[in-house]
Amino acid sequence: MRQIALYGKGGIGKSTTSANLSAAFAEKGLDVMQIGCDPKHDSTRMLMHGRWIPTVLEQMYERKDLEMDDVIFTGFGGVRCVEAGGPEPGIGCAGRGIIATFQLLEKMKALHGDVVVYDVLGDVVCGGFAMPMRDGYAQEVYLVTSGELMSLYAANNICKAIARLSQRSTARCRLGGVICNSKNMDNERELVAEFAKRIGSKMVEFVPRDKAVQAAEVNQMTVIEHAPTSPQADVYRRLAGTILANDDLRIPTALDLDELEKLARAYL
Amino acid sequence: MNWKNLPGHIYESRMAGCTLTGALSVACFIPGAVAVVHAPEGCVHQTFSMLHAMMNDCDVSQIPEIIVSGIGDREVIFGGEDCLTAALDRAAALNPDLIFVVTSCVPETIGDDCGAVCSRHPSADKIIYVPTSGFLGGSAKDGENAVLTALASCVPLSQAVPGTVALIGEKNLESEADQNYAEVERLLARLGLRVTVRFCRGCDAATLMHLGTAECFILRDDRCRPAAEAIGERFKRPVIPEFPGGLSGCIDFLKNVGHACSIPEEKIASAVQDELLYQDQMLKKFSGLTKKTICLGAEPFAGTSAVAREAMERLSMQESESGFPVKLPFYLPVGAAGVEKMLYLWRRAVNNG
Repeated sequence: MRQIALYGKGGIGKSTTSANLSAAFAEKGLDVMQIGCDPKHDSTRMLMHGRWIPTVLEQMYERKDLEMDDVIFTGFGGVRCVEAGGPEPGIGCAGRGIIATFQLLEKMKALHGDVVVYDVLGDVVCGGFAMPMRDGYAQEVYLVTSGELMSLYAANNICKAIARLSQRSTARCRLGGVICNSKNMDNERELVAEFAKRIGSKMVEFVPRDKAVQAAEVNQMTVIEHAPTSPQADVYRRLAGTILANDDLRIPTALDLDELEKLARAYL
Repeated sequence: MNWKNLPGHIYESRMAGCTLTGALSVACFIPGAVAVVHAPEGCVHQTFSMLHAMMNDCDVSQIPEIIVSGIGDREVIFGGEDCLTAALDRAAALNPDLIFVVTSCVPETIGDDCGAVCSRHPSADKIIYVPTSGFLGGSAKDGENAVLTALASCVPLSQAVPGTVALIGEKNLESEADQNYAEVERLLARLGLRVTVRFCRGCDAATLMHLGTAECFILRDDRCRPAAEAIGERFKRPVIPEFPGGLSGCIDFLKNVGHACSIPEEKIASAVQDELLYQDQMLKKFSGLTKKTICLGAEPFAGTSAVAREAMERLSMQESESGFPVKLPFYLPVGAAGVEKMLYLWRRAVNNG
């Protein structure tokens, strides 16, 4: 079973990338599970045709004995969709909620299949958000970034987390590569490719900005489902293929802030 | 590991328990009060085990009334304010005089607004909220100070009643606390002063509320200095920093308390004179130790060697490594009574070899 986690700055397009990746994996006939780790619980909506599925934590709050059917829902291509959810903003600990979700899924023996995609929220802000990387859950991390400095900054921070966690005896997580989700900036492809190289990795895909993405989302579908013959769908399929074939997993070396800023300036 | 060799701050944080231990060692021993701990059950189990062991040492048989909110995984994830409210309901149902709410590190970490929960509870007027925050809030000492300060802030401001003093920070589970209290009471009587409030030792809520009537506050020792400073500042009254240590400590204590309570100089001088005579009488009982050579062991508590050497000098004793080995008291001997007890033990050691 491949366990893949997508990390990156909030709003960079991790959920869109994750959902399309899951759809592309499913198209290849793989048994896929996607787990949204964000309290916003919007990771799997496009796979579920716009349906907000009940979150694990909502269910845990309401009931004691949960069954698989209460928390796992089947979406496009048979992708098994889970949303961890979280507490109301401002109270409790969302990180602990993610941990509890994983523990429940493990207890249910639900973490199986060919690929599990963890769509992790925003930045790594606490141990709980790093949870998919810990204890053998996500073995491959893919950083989703654009050429914007703050996106690179977040990706760079996540490199620090990967490097730190990879030293743990129980952790097996490594960086699989960098996905550039384009914001249509000049020299963006080159900048992100260079960033990936500097941290000791590689850019695995350049995802161009395409109206097909917005069109699919308006229709509450993934691009793979909504526009299967579009070039953008092929980009996601290619990304899925690259990830499946990727065995080049590394411990990244984060850049220092000055170096990162200098790099971003060089490609302006 | 020899913990006695650890620096003080490490000893406090690693060995003396977290703020919960300190806070509960005060809050649990106020008759008529109930302590609510907003924490996982394990925190209170651990703390109660420590308190229970100390209670056994001190022959205290009173079982403290502690209600724990019982934070679990669900509360950590979704917030624990509801379970604190439920615990407060249970506490209020006992109709106590006071409800102490003490918090552990868990609600602090997840950000429960415990102060708001307390203030909107129907029994809010009885609740004293003490945000101790477990290990995040420091050590047991900080917990003790937090409860004393929080409780004092609820005490109404009053006119000082002449001739009265209050004691601050006697440990509820301190060995020899009553003997030490008796010694302080004896010295204060020489100045015509009486103790009206022991804050907080065996006093019910109504008595504690008279704290503000004391002319001055006498601190047990430096451990509760932050609380004593806050109390002194609140009531604008002098604070005596510690119980008297040893023989000369009694004399200094009489002078300092006398001045703090505006006792006439001639009365203070008379009290000092009487005390010196009393000490001489006491030392006469140990005349058999005069000219004896003893070897003091290691100092277990700061200041005990100085107290011991002063007594030796008054008895014309000698100190040498080849002398009779004697033990120093574990805690600083309070007043002449503490010295007397130490000398009894020395005499036994010298006479029995």
